[in-house]
Amino acid sequence: MLFNSIPFLLFFPTVCVLYFLIPAIHVRTRNMLLLIASYYFYMNWEPAYALLLLTSTILTYVSAFGIGHFEDNRIKKTCLICSIILNLAILFLFKYYNFLSSNVMMAMHSCGIGMELPKFALLLPVGISFYTFQALGYSIDVYRGVTKVERDFFTYALFVSFFPQLVAGPIERSNNLLPQFKQQHRFCYESFMTGVRLMVWGYFMKLVLADRCSLYVDAIFNNVDKQNGGSYLVASLLFPFQIYGDFAGYSLIAIGVAQVLGFSLMENFRRPYFACSIGEFWNRWHISLSTWFKDYVYIPLGGNRVGRLHNYFNLLVTFVVSGIWHGANWTFLCWGTLHGLLLCIEKALGISKKQYSGAKKFCHWLVTFILVCLAWILFRANSISDAVTIITGIFTNLEPPKPEYANFIAIALAMAILLTKECSEEFRRKIRIAESVSWVLRHLYLIMMIAYIILFGVLGGDQFIYFQF
Amino acid sequence: MKKLIVSVLFIVIGLFAVDRLGGMLMWWVNQHTHDVSGPKIKYLVNDVNEDILLMGTSRCDLHYVPSVISDTLGLTVYNGGINASENIYSHYIILNHILAIHKPKVICLEVMDNDVMMQSDPFCATAFFAPYFGRNERADSVFLLAGSYWKYRISHLYRYNAKAVSNIAGLVISRHEGGENGYIPFPKPVHYPDSMVYRKTQHLVDSLKLEYVQRFINLCKENGVGLIFMVSPMYTEIDANHYDVLKSIAKRNDIPFLDYHSDGLYHDHPEYFLDNDHLWDKGAKKYSSVFAHDLKKLINKK
Repeated sequence: MLFNSIPFLLFFPTVCVLYFLIPAIHVRTRNMLLLIASYYFYMNWEPAYALLLLTSTILTYVSAFGIGHFEDNRIKKTCLICSIILNLAILFLFKYYNFLSSNVMMAMHSCGIGMELPKFALLLPVGISFYTFQALGYSIDVYRGVTKVERDFFTYALFVSFFPQLVAGPIERSNNLLPQFKQQHRFCYESFMTGVRLMVWGYFMKLVLADRCSLYVDAIFNNVDKQNGGSYLVASLLFPFQIYGDFAGYSLIAIGVAQVLGFSLMENFRRPYFACSIGEFWNRWHISLSTWFKDYVYIPLGGNRVGRLHNYFNLLVTFVVSGIWHGANWTFLCWGTLHGLLLCIEKALGISKKQYSGAKKFCHWLVTFILVCLAWILFRANSISDAVTIITGIFTNLEPPKPEYANFIAIALAMAILLTKECSEEFRRKIRIAESVSWVLRHLYLIMMIAYIILFGVLGGDQFIYFQF
Repeated sequence: MKKLIVSVLFIVIGLFAVDRLGGMLMWWVNQHTHDVSGPKIKYLVNDVNEDILLMGTSRCDLHYVPSVISDTLGLTVYNGGINASENIYSHYIILNHILAIHKPKVICLEVMDNDVMMQSDPFCATAFFAPYFGRNERADSVFLLAGSYWKYRISHLYRYNAKAVSNIAGLVISRHEGGENGYIPFPKPVHYPDSMVYRKTQHLVDSLKLEYVQRFINLCKENGVGLIFMVSPMYTEIDANHYDVLKSIAKRNDIPFLDYHSDGLYHDHPEYFLDNDHLWDKGAKKYSSVFAHDLKKLINKK
């Protein structure tokens, strides 16, 4: 079930009403309702894949139980390793096996070895990377003693499958979300309305900005052979806003939905395109994933408490893994590697630690933005050769782009609204309409935003980009 | 909870008021815009009075020069081709609106694969006609099929969603320069199509679309309007049986079918095309004169 679909707009209020009809003291009953709703939400895509979600839940629940139960550190470690291996094996089978087997076969064929590996016609289960990482994070946290073992299976199952953030994050930490399932969430008007405002802003980012950009971007990136450099350039400048609107929009809707129900999810985006270095960009972009990789990959590798070269190696490995996490394609691998390399260069030059102001800050921002946009070409292109065609086309064949004036005007309007909001937050100017002290103004904001979405939104019920990861 | 009820009521009432006021404003915009398809649809729905009406998608819009056809036939001609109108559902909606105010002598429908074959989103273009929702029951029945009927009933603003930006932009930028009777000449392209592509014959026929082609035909018959199907030139190669489904419908209903594509008209003239599917002004003028002579013969025969 997509957030931007009519079924969700019926499903969510129904869940909300039922949830608040159950008295707050009946925490377990409320949790059961949310668990059933979450599985129903997930099964709307492909009912059979709920079994995978359940399997991942059982595996991590049992392993965490084992970690908590046994005193012997070796057994604890074995439980953890089993949980990691089994979860990653499922992820590998559904997400990476076909990619790996086709590449192995290709390599073998090029060496003159005729080898055939079986292929599985498996659909990628929606959100598998997200819930697998969330569940694995819990197992590791229990092993580290950061989180207590959750003995109630249904509460734990809800932690893994909580519908607002199930399919595209934010990837929650057990010590933030799990305790919230034990609390009594009394209805709070302010929290409810804040959640609604977040949802509306998220819908704006998705439907008005991202989906509008995607009309142009998809037409160019999916027909690379027929375009000129100007079209490549415009599409490459629009894609960063498409993916930001799409993913940050989804995250905001997820955070808003949870907030309406009284839950607080972690912030996932903090105005990433204001970053003045690649390091800063990763402190602002997909925060739940970058902190996950920091906590569970980078630091266990030694982090920055090792020699300089070893530290660069750790960074590179972390970003290569992050690239692969996004999908089974060389484009994602190259995108992750490029970000890793750029971070290593920044570290070597000491850029990320310095604070700049004035013209210097502007130059750093501009360079960072250009580099991020360049890397996004790798991320969006259907193949490495397409990415090369696009990048070379921008520099060698810069003719006027394919004109789509109506789309461009709509995108410019949406960007102007986004920029006004983000600038006011970034530079702490007081243009607060959504959170105005005036009740009428706050409500008028909601009315106007909903009307704007109805009139200018792309309401075809498009998928969210990050669902494929 | 009391606060929430007040908030919800305020938002619902406010949204209703904004939606209705916005709908009225967008109707005005829609009626005064100078974008490409808005004024044409408005003319077809409100004012069309020509003897010969050409209908279809961009391939009709770009390929038929009314003045050339009119000079040959001595009848008034209007090019009612609507860019990106996609398939028979759009043609059926617009035909219902037209017949409510005028009965042309002949309707020439530029047909294509999309009119009968399966598509992933066959109703996508019906939204273009949503501003005229509620004016014609038979036309509105397509919105029921498309699943947008109740959305248009509830929200007046949503009726303008598909073309809101281009309608607003059309208030300041006129895209009708040099147009006559629905035809806007397409200027000489930078590149002509460099090679002829092969279009595979599709075999997945959409039975609902077939039903609507038949409804289109029946509607013309009921109103005493002559109907002709045609396929204008394309710079593509196809199999001999490419249009068999459409041709069999035409044959069954005794409708003339002019197939210039299968005949390979202008396959030796890539300089008439702006891309593989469309002619530019030069090609359109040449083709219109060929078509006008064939049409004249057909009309005289009848």
